[in-house]
Amino acid sequence: MTEVSIERLTKVFGSSRAVDGISLRIADGEFISLLGPSGCGKTTTLKMIAGFEPVSDGAIRFDGSDVVNVPAEKRDIGMVFQNYALFPHMTVAQNLAFGLEMRKVAKPEMEERIARVLDMVQLGGYAERYPNQLSGGQQQRVALARALVIEPRILLLDEPLANLDAKLREEMRVFIRDLQRRVGITTVYVTHDQAEAMTMSDRVVVMFGGRIAQMGAPADIYEKPETLEVAEFVGQVNLIKGRVTSVDAGEAQISTVFGTVAVPDRGIARPNMTATLALRPEALDLAAAGEPGAAGRITARYYSGSLVDFRVALSSGEELHVQTFPNARYSEGDDVTVRAPLDAFWLIGAAQ
Amino acid sequence: MSAKRGAGIARPWLLMVPAVALLLIFLVIPYINIVLMSFRTPGTGTPYGVGFTIDNYLRFFSDSFYLFQVFNTLWIGALTTALCLIIGFPVAWQLARGDMRFRGLAYGLVLSPLLVGIVIRSYGWTILLGNAGLINRTLQALGIIDSPLPLMYNALGITIALVHVFLPFMILPIMAAIQGVDPSLESAARSLGASRFTAFRRIILPLSMPGIQAGCILVFVLSLSAYVTPSLIGGLRVKTMAVTVVDALIDTFQWPWGSALALMLSVTGAVCVLIFARLTRMKWKVARS
Repeated sequence: MTEVSIERLTKVFGSSRAVDGISLRIADGEFISLLGPSGCGKTTTLKMIAGFEPVSDGAIRFDGSDVVNVPAEKRDIGMVFQNYALFPHMTVAQNLAFGLEMRKVAKPEMEERIARVLDMVQLGGYAERYPNQLSGGQQQRVALARALVIEPRILLLDEPLANLDAKLREEMRVFIRDLQRRVGITTVYVTHDQAEAMTMSDRVVVMFGGRIAQMGAPADIYEKPETLEVAEFVGQVNLIKGRVTSVDAGEAQISTVFGTVAVPDRGIARPNMTATLALRPEALDLAAAGEPGAAGRITARYYSGSLVDFRVALSSGEELHVQTFPNARYSEGDDVTVRAPLDAFWLIGAAQ
Repeated sequence: MSAKRGAGIARPWLLMVPAVALLLIFLVIPYINIVLMSFRTPGTGTPYGVGFTIDNYLRFFSDSFYLFQVFNTLWIGALTTALCLIIGFPVAWQLARGDMRFRGLAYGLVLSPLLVGIVIRSYGWTILLGNAGLINRTLQALGIIDSPLPLMYNALGITIALVHVFLPFMILPIMAAIQGVDPSLESAARSLGASRFTAFRRIILPLSMPGIQAGCILVFVLSLSAYVTPSLIGGLRVKTMAVTVVDALIDTFQWPWGSALALMLSVTGAVCVLIFARLTRMKWKVARS
C-alpha cells in the first residue's frame, strides 16, 4: 500500500496562492479529510495529488518517490468525483471495465474483479444498467466501485456526497468508511461538511486560505481547536470573557461567571489580562433559577427532535447558546441557571 | 376560465395544428404533386401530356450519364461533409472548451459566412478559384506553377465552396454536444489510466456523436440540394443533380422528367442518410429506465 507525503506544496493562480506551502504526511491505509470552506485550497490540493492540476512548488511523494512530473494516468489513483462522472454511454460493467482495460487486465480476471467489487458496493444485479437508469446513491456507489476495481494505490474523493439528500448522505458516510477499512486503502477525502469529516476520518486537516489551520484526530479538532476560526468551522461555539488570575506551568486560572476555571495556556495568558474563552453549546446544561452557576433568562428556544437549542441572556450581559436533550422543559422567558463543567473551556486569546 | 384551461391541457395536439397545416400545404401536397408529375408524359406547349408512364424512370436508369451524375452529387456531398467534420470538429472543441475571452469572437467568425448572401459568397469563390483568379495568379507570380491549376469547373472547386458555406452547420451542433459533455468525465478517464488521446477517443468522441451525427446529416443534405454554388462554380462542365433538375424544369420545361430526377435525388439522399444514421446509432441514447 502507499504512504503519501506532501512537502511545502504550493499552487499559484495569477497573484493568489490557492495552496500556500502545505506539508502533510498520510500514513499507509489512513483516512484523511481535507476540511474547509470553499476556496480554502482543499480541492486544488486534491487535484494536485491526482495530477489534474500542475504543481507550482513543492513535492508530492508516493512511498518516497516524487510524482509531481508523473501524468495523472500514470499515478495509479482511484478518484471519485462530486458529480460521479460516470461515463453515460457505458453500462455499469463497462464503466468498471474501463480502468481494467487501460491496465490490460485479461478478460476472465476482469469479469471476476468487476463482479467482486459490484458485490462489495451492493450493486450485484446492476452490471448491465446505464448510469441514467440508477438513483443518485447507486451512481455514487458505481463511482466508488469504478475507482476501487483498479486497486489503486490511493483513493481520492472530492465531495462525493454533496449531491445526495441528507438521509442517504449519512448512510453513505458509514458505508464509505466501512468499505475503506475493509480495503485498507490510503484515502484522501475532500469536504466542507465537518460532520462528514469527523465521522469518517482518522485525521482531519482543517484548511483556511491555502494553509493548514490545524490537523489531528477528529476529537482533538473538535474539543481542542487551536483557533477561533477552526472552532467555529467544526461546530458552534460560545465565547465568554474572563479575568486571568494566575499563570503557572502552562496552565492559566481564569475567573468567569461560572467560577474559576483552569485552562491549558499556549503562552497567551498574562495575569490580570481579560481573556476570551470558548466552549461548545452541548457542554452546557440548564438548571432551575437559583442553583449554582450563571444566572440568565431564556430568550429563544428551537426544538429539533433529538436536541433543543436555547439562547440564554446571562445577567452579566453575555449571550450563550445552550444545546440540551429535549427533557429540559424550559421555555422562552424562563429564568434559569446555566451550568458548565469546568474542563469544557479553552482559551482563545486576549479579549478584543 | 378554468374550464377553458382544462380543455387546453386535454388537447395538446391543438398546438401542433399550425405547424402541421404549414407542412401539409407547402411540403406534403407539393411532394405528392411531384410524385404524380414524375409519372406523367411530356407535353408540348403544356407542362405535361395525357396519361401516365414510367418512361421517365426508364430513361434515368438506362442512361449512365444521369446515374453518374447522382453518384457525383453524392460524392461531392460526402466529401463536403467529411471535410466539414475534419475542419469543424477542432473549431467546435475550441468554442466549447477553449478560452472564454476569445469565444465570442470565434463564435462570430464561425457564423459570419451565414451573414453574407450565398450568391455573393459563391461569386467570391469564383474570383479566388478562377484560372485568372487570385490563387492561380499569385502562385504563377511566385513561380510555383506554370499553368493555372484547375480549381473551378470541377468537383474540387464546388467542394471547396460548399465546405465554406456549410461549415457553420457542422460546427454548431458539435459545439452544443461537446458543451453537454461534463469535463470531469475526461478527468475520470485519465484517473483510470487513459492517456489524453484515449480519453478523447473512448469518452469525448462517442459522447459528441449526437452532434456529429446531426452536423453530418445537415451538411450532407444541404450539399445535395445546393444549387447556387454548384451552378456558379461548376459552370457548364460539372453539374450536380440539383443543377440538372433546375435545367430540366426551367430551361427545357420538361416538368415530368425534372420531377423524376428530383425524386431520384431525394430517394438516394434519404437512403444514404438512413444508412449513416443506422451506422452511427447510439445504444446508450435509447436506454432509459
